[in-house]
Amino acid sequence: MTGSCSKRKNVKMSKTLTGLGAGLCVSLFLAAFGATAQPVYDPMRPSMSPLAPLATGPTAQGSQAELDPKLGNLPVGPGAEDTYYQCVGCHSTAIIRQQRLTDDRWDYLWTWMIDEQGMQEPEPEIAEQILAYLKTHFSSER
Amino acid sequence: MTDKITDGRSDKAEIADEPTRRTILKATGLTALGAYVGMNIPFEGNLMALAQGMSEEDIMSGKNGLVLLNDRPLNAETPAHLLDDDVTPYKHFFIRNNGFVPDSALDMDAEGWTLTIDGEVDTALELSIGELKSRFEEVTLRLVLECGGNGRAFFNPGASGNQWTTGAVGCADWTGVRLSDVLNAAGIKSSAVYTAHHSDDPHLSGDPDKEVISRGVPIEKALAEGGIIAWAMNGEPIPAVHGFPLRLVIPGYPGSASQKYVNRIQIRDQEHDGAKMTGYSYRVPAYPVAPGTEVPEEDMVVLTDMPVKSLITFPQSGAQAAAGEAMEVRGHAWSGSGDVASVDISIDFGATWTPAALEAPVNKFAWQRFRADVTLPQAGYYEVWARATDLNGVSQPPVVPGWNPRGYGNNMQHRIAMIAT
Ligand code: HEC
Repeated sequence: MTGSCSKRKNVKMSKTLTGLGAGLCVSLFLAAFGATAQPVYDPMRPSMSPLAPLATGPTAQGSQAELDPKLGNLPVGPGAEDTYYQCVGCHSTAIIRQQRLTDDRWDYLWTWMIDEQGMQEPEPEIAEQILAYLKTHFSSER
Repeated sequence: MTDKITDGRSDKAEIADEPTRRTILKATGLTALGAYVGMNIPFEGNLMALAQGMSEEDIMSGKNGLVLLNDRPLNAETPAHLLDDDVTPYKHFFIRNNGFVPDSALDMDAEGWTLTIDGEVDTALELSIGELKSRFEEVTLRLVLECGGNGRAFFNPGASGNQWTTGAVGCADWTGVRLSDVLNAAGIKSSAVYTAHHSDDPHLSGDPDKEVISRGVPIEKALAEGGIIAWAMNGEPIPAVHGFPLRLVIPGYPGSASQKYVNRIQIRDQEHDGAKMTGYSYRVPAYPVAPGTEVPEEDMVVLTDMPVKSLITFPQSGAQAAAGEAMEVRGHAWSGSGDVASVDISIDFGATWTPAALEAPVNKFAWQRFRADVTLPQAGYYEVWARATDLNGVSQPPVVPGWNPRGYGNNMQHRIAMIAT
């Protein structure tokens, strides 16, 4: 799959790098995929991990939630905007969107970001709103 | 759209002409790569990453088929079937970056670079790369580098960090000098306990006083076989994203022990407490805990040897095979202690196992090729599972091993789907 996608995409590479055509490979990929019958079950899909019960929260929920492309594809919801501006000074939202953590771990990461990485602490109400947003959308608990 | 864009190079040249591009990207925090997070990077055959004056984004153009986990900082993993080579080529080598790639690396400019060895030594050394090359014996070793968090994606509840599945591993030929030779030249004092590695890569916050990462290893590990200070990867100067001009490669330990852009190795009289040595970083609970447990920080201990592991690199998961006919399945096995004894293969969900042929490593800490002929008895869906065992008889578990807050050391058996027709 990847191979056919790469070949067709090769010539367009530089443009996509400058920001255009981001969705392009997705459609090529799907088209290529569609040509070869149904997708084969992947035994190494993270949600299929043998220890994992059914995938809850993050990925399942995340794929349904509407994403806001203006806010780094964070899921739409109260606190999204504050979270975006608080968090993207150092890294992209990609590291946030990958998480599905316990509430305790989010509380810990919040202080880690401040104490170890130099994140500026916002006003308490804003902090509360951001943490609530993170615990809602990137949670292993809900 | 397609017709407009036929020549990749002219666009590239434009980018190279913009001297402030990198600065702008860092300041605005916007990268065009962001749109590719979670996707395979399809860019093929372009080696801009080795060219001068590139930006961080250009790096991904030299990385073929990797899945981008994070665009800032760059983190990307390699699908299993792209790791089939004995020596992982640059284009398929995973990226684990904690901070930014330094401009000196992007420019491939090693002018004036020195490596300092100080702390608990008889004579502190400050060595140019030329001195490293002339004073010490050059060695080339094939060494596995694996991120400590490889397999993190399978922990439940989730563990924080990049959600690596199986692809934060690679095995390249590294050329340099033995770490032990250089440390012994400085003279290790009896008070020496731990190394502390330092580099000049910029912190994501832009704060010049913050170290991105500064890890170390027990002095015994630093002096043991395998560890090198490398300046070449697969016969070429180490590419920017992998640590140009100098990096440590300390095999067997989590990849973070192998500092990129290394400019100082300090010898300490206590366990190092630099960036990402403390708290939960590269640490596991001192005792077994139930998934999701909050473990007090003081009960976390440093992760050392990586566990025994294997990966099926051929065929690609989902491949078809004729029922009743033998087909080769192959891959690599490695372990943090550098001693894989055997690999077994199952086509019946682990109910029965058959030994694979296992090649000796070309040197300690190189991964070892395994091969097995499998015959799928009748048409239908099969899974091929691989299980490596080390010399102590310790094998890979069929399920995710001990949960830990940061998701380290997952060496569960790798499995691929095969369809018999
Ligand atoms: C001052 C800089 C800074 C800010 C602001 C910041 N972070 Fe981070 N964050 C970091 C650094 C540095 C890392 C480590 C990156 C790496 O290792 O790849 C990190 C890593 C993370 C991780 C991965 C944690 C892990 O265990 O590896 C998460 C999740 C995260 N940040 C979330 C956030 C969220 C949410 C916000 C906003 C509330 C935020 N960050 C704001 C600097 C920052």
